[in-house]
Amino acid sequence: MSSSTISDMATNFQRFSVNCRSFFLLCKPRVSALIVFTAIIGMFLATPGMVPLNILLAATVGIALSSGAAAAFNCLIEQEIDARMARTRGRPLPTKQVTSSQTLVFATIVATTGLVILYFYVNPLTMWLTFGTFLGYAVIYTIFLKPATPLNIVIGGASGAMPPILGWAAVNNTVSPEALILFLIIFAWTPPHFWALALYRRGEYAKSGLPMLPVTHGEEFTRLQILYYTLILIAVTLIPAAMGMSGWIYLLGILALDARFLWYAINIHRNYSDDLAKRAFRFSIWYLTWLFAVLLVDHYFHFPI
Amino acid sequence: MQNLFNRLTFIAMALALCVVVLGAYVRLSNAGLGCPDWPGCYGHITVPHHQVAQQAFPDKPLEAPKAWKEMVHRYFAGTLAVLILTIFVTAWRGRGQLNTKPILPSVLLLLVMLQAALGMWTVTLLLKPVIVSLHLLGGMATLGVLTWLVSKRLPAAADISMRSWALLALVILVCQIALGGWTSSNYAALACPDFPMCQGAWAPHTDFFHGFRLIRELGQNADGSQLSLQALTAIHVMHRLGALFTFLYLGWFGSKLLKISGLAVWGRLLLGMLLVQIALGISNVVLSLPLAVAVAHNAGAAILLMTLVVINSKLNQG
Repeated sequence: MSSSTISDMATNFQRFSVNCRSFFLLCKPRVSALIVFTAIIGMFLATPGMVPLNILLAATVGIALSSGAAAAFNCLIEQEIDARMARTRGRPLPTKQVTSSQTLVFATIVATTGLVILYFYVNPLTMWLTFGTFLGYAVIYTIFLKPATPLNIVIGGASGAMPPILGWAAVNNTVSPEALILFLIIFAWTPPHFWALALYRRGEYAKSGLPMLPVTHGEEFTRLQILYYTLILIAVTLIPAAMGMSGWIYLLGILALDARFLWYAINIHRNYSDDLAKRAFRFSIWYLTWLFAVLLVDHYFHFPI
Repeated sequence: MQNLFNRLTFIAMALALCVVVLGAYVRLSNAGLGCPDWPGCYGHITVPHHQVAQQAFPDKPLEAPKAWKEMVHRYFAGTLAVLILTIFVTAWRGRGQLNTKPILPSVLLLLVMLQAALGMWTVTLLLKPVIVSLHLLGGMATLGVLTWLVSKRLPAAADISMRSWALLALVILVCQIALGGWTSSNYAALACPDFPMCQGAWAPHTDFFHGFRLIRELGQNADGSQLSLQALTAIHVMHRLGALFTFLYLGWFGSKLLKISGLAVWGRLLLGMLLVQIALGISNVVLSLPLAVAVAHNAGAAILLMTLVVINSKLNQG
């Protein structure tokens, strides 16, 4: 082999790696990771014993691929808005690391692969539910809901709340009340999570043209809504304990988490600062992670209330 | 209008303390089921005669002294509820002019209605420990909110650095009161007849799993089998451990208050009441739960709560 061939190969490999990374970023990996995490917990909560390894693997891969593809579609459709906002203008499409047609092909292949895996290696119910979630996010939310109303993320939160149901369906081939409670928890969590972000990024959202709540109804109103939805969230997170689904470990954990969340919500309402909203947003991500982790531990170390 | 509001809240606060202590007296003299129904007693507004009671509830014979204790508690509680309703109306009519926004009096009204329901369930659900404990906590909460409303008139002692510690102190005390309620409503106070050891050992046999199952009948496990001594011991031991923790934290917190102007006197009150409460608790065990000491222990908890509420209020004003 000549030295020029080797350096050609090296350059091609570098370009290939950069492109791979760009495609990976299109899938919004951090969001998808949390989504897959909640789905996996849903799988474990669905059975008293261990989740069959083939289901665990297939469902995780299938849900991860579908979630990534939905995120990629979202990036594709919103690329102009992304270009206008500081938070998102570094994404692969606005920075021209990938083209629109490349993204379309990529997202279609990934989505199809994910759904096919779910259909053949998990069960049809999980596939259809995942497909519905995919449409809900990529089409209904991104195309119709988001530009239409300040309640966009409240309703669109339903898509983000589906993963525990998907995980549960993967293991049990059914949708149970317990899974619906998990859906409700994430659904109630989504508004304070997103509106905290929208508050400290209100200038950018104003530029983007999207009807986010701080832009359409003002900051003070948004801060009050965050408080109200936090109260709803607290009430909903107590349901697993009240239902007997979870025990002491969950209850003590959730009381601590809810107290902290409430502290953030009250302070956002009373002594707002952009820094506080930013910290609240970051905390909300940890909050959800710890909530599901505590659900998992409680599932195996169950001290009934 | 502020004067009227001030007077109403102060009287209500004092009355709430009485209701809490009366409630403890009813529980500790085993009069909780003195009347088998609610809100009447054998269907009447006062304690009726034997024959009337027998006709109304033939399988629940009347014990007049117990019934009277129960009804006096209800009379005082009912009066408090009416007073709180008046406070609610006054707060709304005077909104903008008063030193308090109407939200807290509204919460208070909801709280007292919930308390009434809990009082009813205490009787109709036959002294289920979780209901009795919640009823105790509800009473304490009502007293706490009233104390907060009254303490708004006190001068502020704004010291931002102490606010979180003060809140933590309140949370710890409420947890310990909850443990105390759970101990009393499960009749676990005599599970350890000695102090500082329990049943002659430093580590007695305990069953926390069954002891802290909340949803079950009095004296039973969730499946209906009898609640074991080990479970009662676990409940009692938890209250003692909580007492130690509460004593250490509140002791530290109180001593820090001594150096802050405007809070020194409250810090002294906190430390004093803390010592009294510990002494009463130990006396309960060593003297085998004499009624007066047990009721005083409940009253001591209420006064400790009021003290911490005042401290928190002063720290959070201004």
